[in-house]
Amino acid sequence: MSLARFLLKRTLQGLFVIWGVVTVVFGLRFISPGDPANVLLPPDVSEGTRQQVVAELGLDKPLYVQYVDYIAGLLTGDMGMSLVTRTDASGRILGKLPATLELAVAATVVAVVIAVPLGVVSATRRHQPADYGATVFSLAGISTPNFWLGIMLIIVLAVQLNLFPTSRRPVGIDDAFAHLVAFQFGLAWSELTTWLWHVTLPAITLGTYFTALITRLTRSGMLEELGQGYVRAARAKGLPETLVRYKHALRNTLIPIITVVGLQLGTLIGGAVITEAVFNWPGLGTLIINGIQARDWPVVQGSIIVIGVGFVVLNILVDALYAYVNPQVTYD
Amino acid sequence: MIDRLRLLGRALERGVSPRTLRNLRRELRQSALAKVGIVIVLFMVAMAAFAPLFAPHDPTQQNLGESQNPPLGFSTQETEEVSVQENGSVVIENGTPKTEERTVYQNASLAHPLGTDANGRDILSRVVYGARTSMLVGILGTLLAAVVGVTVGLTAGYYGGRVDDALMRGADIMLAFPSLVLAIALVGVWGTAAKRIPDPIVTSGLSETMRPMVGWETGMPESIVIPGTVVIVVALVNWVWFARVARGEALSLRQEEYVKAARALGASDRYIIARHVLPNAITPIIVLGTIQVAAIILLESALSFLGFSGTSLSWGFDIALGRQYQSTSWWIAAMPGLAIVLTVVGLNLLGDWLRDALDPDIGGEGGV
Repeated sequence: MSLARFLLKRTLQGLFVIWGVVTVVFGLRFISPGDPANVLLPPDVSEGTRQQVVAELGLDKPLYVQYVDYIAGLLTGDMGMSLVTRTDASGRILGKLPATLELAVAATVVAVVIAVPLGVVSATRRHQPADYGATVFSLAGISTPNFWLGIMLIIVLAVQLNLFPTSRRPVGIDDAFAHLVAFQFGLAWSELTTWLWHVTLPAITLGTYFTALITRLTRSGMLEELGQGYVRAARAKGLPETLVRYKHALRNTLIPIITVVGLQLGTLIGGAVITEAVFNWPGLGTLIINGIQARDWPVVQGSIIVIGVGFVVLNILVDALYAYVNPQVTYD
Repeated sequence: MIDRLRLLGRALERGVSPRTLRNLRRELRQSALAKVGIVIVLFMVAMAAFAPLFAPHDPTQQNLGESQNPPLGFSTQETEEVSVQENGSVVIENGTPKTEERTVYQNASLAHPLGTDANGRDILSRVVYGARTSMLVGILGTLLAAVVGVTVGLTAGYYGGRVDDALMRGADIMLAFPSLVLAIALVGVWGTAAKRIPDPIVTSGLSETMRPMVGWETGMPESIVIPGTVVIVVALVNWVWFARVARGEALSLRQEEYVKAARALGASDRYIIARHVLPNAITPIIVLGTIQVAAIILLESALSFLGFSGTSLSWGFDIALGRQYQSTSWWIAAMPGLAIVLTVVGLNLLGDWLRDALDPDIGGEGGV
């Protein structure tokens, strides 16, 4: 199978999964007690007005019509109306998306930048203090609930030492970028530094689990690769040790790591939800939690669908990347 | 369901061979970390089971006079400026309010070694009782997820073909939801119903007889709260891991000679799955189960932290309370979190040990 056909097949599977996600999410509303019209209307409203609102929301139609309408709406980017703000749900969701994305990317950067070197050091200095340190760190990292870690970072670094702000996101990276392309460099720079100052603690909070996980994976992968015949051959022919380690062994180690990290993206997004709650970060997670508490189902459903679609798309990209870096991969 | 549990129990009996036991012992001798893990987990399980005998105070007993006492070793003494009042009005001296320095003590005491929370409740006792919630949800949730997931996975893997395709596509859909997000949505939809059962340690009078021996007051809470909805939800979002592992095992086991032989002899599929496939697939399932207890404890604490908890005696719930006092009393949030870290470290070490001893082929890190 060629790469193109492989990607086509994965895309079709992805579309199927997205359909499944949409169906499950659509069903969520019907296992929930409480009528959406009651969320929207004051309790003493007349029966006539009530009927009118129910009809406007399409809640009087048969279930399968509502289902088809919902999917048809999604295809045109319509996720219904927020029951709380009475505005377009998709608008609210897209407005919150940049905050979550930048947090997830910042956390991934933190994780990869720290974890890969740490894992390599740990593997090449096996049973030395550096290795023990890295092992203890990675065990603690995968065992620590990130919301608690976030609160501890706030207590120590923000409250006691006053190095970072305790919460909030006054500017986004998108604002800084907008000013950059408008040649307002001074403004862009000050926004960028403000953003970095605010994103540091949330990114560490969200990234620690991944740092720990990738450290473990890099360590065990490097140990396995360094024991392989090709490494011995490379050393025997006099290749410098750094070249053996980084060009040969590390490259082969990174391939399986990509897959595992891809599978763990869901955990990353789940972690972002709770990290946002700790730092008052105005992203999708905050939107979902507030939406559930207010029973604003269209917003909750739309947010979950956006996350599900993001997960599927990222997984296809990870597969493509995997195929790209590993020429031996067979597509089936 | 009961039937399936019995099958699982029988499989466990058959699954542990003398060779496996030898491996377990050898790995245990060689690994200090494995011993640490076992000690931590046994301690936490004992603490959860016998909470009324471990907790120095009633975890729900409020005492506003002892609010926000720091833990042992963290007594503080601060001076603050207060305005002097006489007969209910502020004394003015040279045109400004007269102030004096007053010393504010925050005294740690042996009675509350981990300090007290904002309502003066003993944090150590709350940590002890929180272990109950975590262990109950962790173990019950994992068992439920395992029963559902293993049943689905073995069926899919054993029959293969369309059954397999359908079940595994369903699993793909489940995996597209981040487990925390799905769990929040489900608990949000269903609410957090919980069931109270009488605490056998208290109702049997055991705590009434033992506690006075060490000079502790009696009168502990008489019921255990089982957060039923949370158990079901964490199982619903985690069964798919069991299904994937069980399916993989069944796919390869159905090619084995003894399975073919049993089929040729006319054994029913149900019998073959229960007596031949499951016992041979049980090892990776046990390893996964250990890691899943840890994952579910983390998930439960996250749910409780966000306010979706069936009980107010939960580590995550207490961390959320402590967060409100993050600028004055760090210990309220810190202590229950340390308990979570300790428990999950123990379970992860236990899982590593079981993996190395039972299944050298699984290889390092799984997707969990």
